[in-house]
Amino acid sequence: MNHKLEIRNLTKTFSTEEGEMGALEDINIEVTPAEFLCIIGPSGCGKTTLLRMVAGLDHPSSGEIILDGKEVKGPSPDRGMVFQEFSLFPWRTVLKNVEFGLEIKGVGGKARGEIAEKYIELVGLQGFENHYPYELSGGMKQRVAIARALATEPAILLMDEPFGSVDAQTRNVLQEELLEIWKRTKKTILFVTHSVDEAVYLADRVAVMSARPGCLVKCLAVNIPRPRKRTSLEANEFREKLLMLLSLERSKACISV
Amino acid sequence: MKLPTKEKWLWLVPLIAVLLLWEFTAGYVIKNPLMLPRFSAVIFSIYALRNVLIADTLISLLHFGIGLALAFAAALPLAIGMGWSRNIFKAIDPIIEILRPIPPLAWIPIAMIWFHLTHYAAGFIIFIGAFFPILIDSYTGFRDVPKVLVETGKVLGCISDKKQIKYIAFPYALPSIATGTRVGMGVGWMCVVAAEMFGVSDSGLGYRLFQKFYFLHQMDYVVAYMLVLGLVALCLDRLFRHFVEDKLFKWKKGIVK
Repeated sequence: MNHKLEIRNLTKTFSTEEGEMGALEDINIEVTPAEFLCIIGPSGCGKTTLLRMVAGLDHPSSGEIILDGKEVKGPSPDRGMVFQEFSLFPWRTVLKNVEFGLEIKGVGGKARGEIAEKYIELVGLQGFENHYPYELSGGMKQRVAIARALATEPAILLMDEPFGSVDAQTRNVLQEELLEIWKRTKKTILFVTHSVDEAVYLADRVAVMSARPGCLVKCLAVNIPRPRKRTSLEANEFREKLLMLLSLERSKACISV
Repeated sequence: MKLPTKEKWLWLVPLIAVLLLWEFTAGYVIKNPLMLPRFSAVIFSIYALRNVLIADTLISLLHFGIGLALAFAAALPLAIGMGWSRNIFKAIDPIIEILRPIPPLAWIPIAMIWFHLTHYAAGFIIFIGAFFPILIDSYTGFRDVPKVLVETGKVLGCISDKKQIKYIAFPYALPSIATGTRVGMGVGWMCVVAAEMFGVSDSGLGYRLFQKFYFLHQMDYVVAYMLVLGLVALCLDRLFRHFVEDKLFKWKKGIVK
């Protein structure tokens, strides 16, 4: 089977004043096309670092990341990224934010507007094209960020706790919308979260990571048919399984500290 | 925001009160036009001096324009370098910090020797006065660009420094550049007067105020010129706010009406 993304023997160490510190150790993950993979782990396990390396924003100490058969060397618009912090350009309207990647690419004004409009509609923000980010709610800002990341038609969408700073109800709505977007665009999505609920609701597979230095403990397929019900028995059972794994990892972390 | 007519004109009340107090105190308490000319006398002086006053204002604005344009042209590229690159900052900052505390007026002898009695001599003093506020506010703007915006840019295709500066740092820093320019304009205008007063020029508002009117003890003329100096600065500031800040920074909360 063809893999969309392969992460092979990925290791990352940071140099600190106390010497080398391992952040990630020997990570191996394979992601199939159009798969929704959630990465979950205790805080400080390096899950964000892993995602940043796929984005090309950090460089691995050893190992390799291969996307569509090509090694990732640095950032590029073929990997869209949505950050946890609000990352809209405050001086640009919604439309201009979504157009940004296309503008850099050199796509002409009219075509650019049409593509951007398509993605604004996809995230349900038609009518807000000329609003500035400060006029939007947190959930709307992240919708724009998703539209902006998708507008350059990346091969993969990387999301780093994108709904971490919105309230719980909005988060549920955004999760539903994201699944809808995923279904319609058939994107491969790599989604980092610390929320077990989120992982169980969204993912095809959940990659569980251990505390520092982070390594992959287990990859679990979520075999619950969609649309999923958050409160169903299967969801709860899966949640239980994940929580057990995570608390095991957390207790290990406490001992090693 | 629309104020009711009554509140809109409220500012006139204390202003008229102060002018009346001035007229009354000068006319009936101090009774010495050398110590304090009456407001009415000053207004008549402005009228009497109207021709020479307009010529002097234009000369001073010329000095101001030369100095400010040069200061802006020199400060902006330096600010981009210092704000964007830690190394350039480290290399240049000590030099800046040694030169900055030197009062602009201390440069007058140098200006005289270098440029003789030309408009450039006065322009040079204004350059010195306006340069540092523009530089420091601007590089702060470039330095404080949030990391997440730069990384968002990278992921969307802004790979080179040039593109990152053009599309991300520059728009982000624009409000700081504007603030620096506004402060620089204020300092520059003060330098205009002082530079002309101390003989860097043989014309201009400051020159006439000090070298002509004061030496003849024509205090109503002196105060008339003082008022004009204040009013010109006020107009410059208002024009700048109207044409630059209000137009450019619609995206900033708080400025939007």
